[in-house]
Amino acid sequence: MRQLTEKETETLFSKLANYTGRSLTHLIQPPSSESSDPKNPSSERHVFRIQNNRVYYVRESIANLATSVARANLLSLGTCLGKFTKTGKFRLHITALDVIAPHARYKMWIKPNGEMPFLYGGNIVKAHVGRWSEDCPEHQGVVVFSMSDTPLGFGISARSTAEARRLEPTGITTFRQADVGEYLREEDTLFAT
Amino acid sequence: MAPKPPSKGSGSKFKSSSSASKPSSRPSSKPSSKPSSKSSSSAKKRSVPKPKDQIKTKRADAPSTKKKRRTYTEKELGIPKLNMITPAGVQKPKGKKKGKVFVDDQQSMMTILAMVNADKEGQIESKMMKARQMEEIREARRKEAEMRQVDKKSKLEETKNSLRKHRKRKSDGDALNATDANAQTSAPKKNKKRVSFG
Repeated sequence: MRQLTEKETETLFSKLANYTGRSLTHLIQPPSSESSDPKNPSSERHVFRIQNNRVYYVRESIANLATSVARANLLSLGTCLGKFTKTGKFRLHITALDVIAPHARYKMWIKPNGEMPFLYGGNIVKAHVGRWSEDCPEHQGVVVFSMSDTPLGFGISARSTAEARRLEPTGITTFRQADVGEYLREEDTLFAT
Repeated sequence: MAPKPPSKGSGSKFKSSSSASKPSSRPSSKPSSKPSSKSSSSAKKRSVPKPKDQIKTKRADAPSTKKKRRTYTEKELGIPKLNMITPAGVQKPKGKKKGKVFVDDQQSMMTILAMVNADKEGQIESKMMKARQMEEIREARRKEAEMRQVDKKSKLEETKNSLRKHRKRKSDGDALNATDANAQTSAPKKNKKRVSFG
């Protein structure tokens, strides 16, 4: 387990910034940090740590405690955001959804009849879209919510909002990248190897 | 291009002047001023095993000889660089810390994030601009197509109308002919034989 280098930090942030707006700064500097309450763990500073190519978003106190565990023995800590590929790119995992969902820039809400197709790994067709953020350009990161505002996953917009309006009902509006169905489908590989 | 070490010539000069047993560089600084002292020092050397202060004086002399023997780097000489085996990218800069440079303090992370955010904003902005332009172009094209369609339709209507008028004129003439023809045809019809089984 170690801190991220400059390059790694930049790669990670640029990936996260695909889905989030300016409020991503809250990840590094929580808004309540000025009145940091030692009893309240949520106000404590969180840090990014890398372990076996996986990047974790951890409370600093836990990260400090984890230094006492050998690298080979440390399996996981905090929230896994994703992993660095061998080519140096960063791939977000579904586990990062909790981190990016509150700061999402572009959102898409899908109807109940579209939830299951999405959770089984399908792209989102226009007929399943309940609402979407206005002014979303194409090929931009989008966080997908159910109509009851439960984050279900994230993806990339296939068309801009204006174009998607003219699309036929079976046309794809968002390409799926990760969905919460992966917790079951990818259970074996999600947290190890 | 190689530098001519200036020590050689001068050294040979001194060699010729001084005794052969002595090393050439040592008496270089003051051979002419104090010949008597030089001889005394050599005598001392033989008898006493090198007093410390004397060594110091020798060391004080040393830099002058070193300067003369100084080796010149390739940069100073202006020699063109050779094709080395190690490429320039692989060579590590001297005096720099080895290994990775970690980023863990909030400030540097914030600066990186600000840079990334600005970059992304720019990208999104350019995307939106592009989309807007494309939308405008598409709209203009659509309008043009519509106009063309309307023109086509109106032309078609015109031709239709003209044809209709033409036919009407024709049909007026035809109608007279037709009545005549009917009259003609009706006459023979009356003459037709009829059979009834009643």
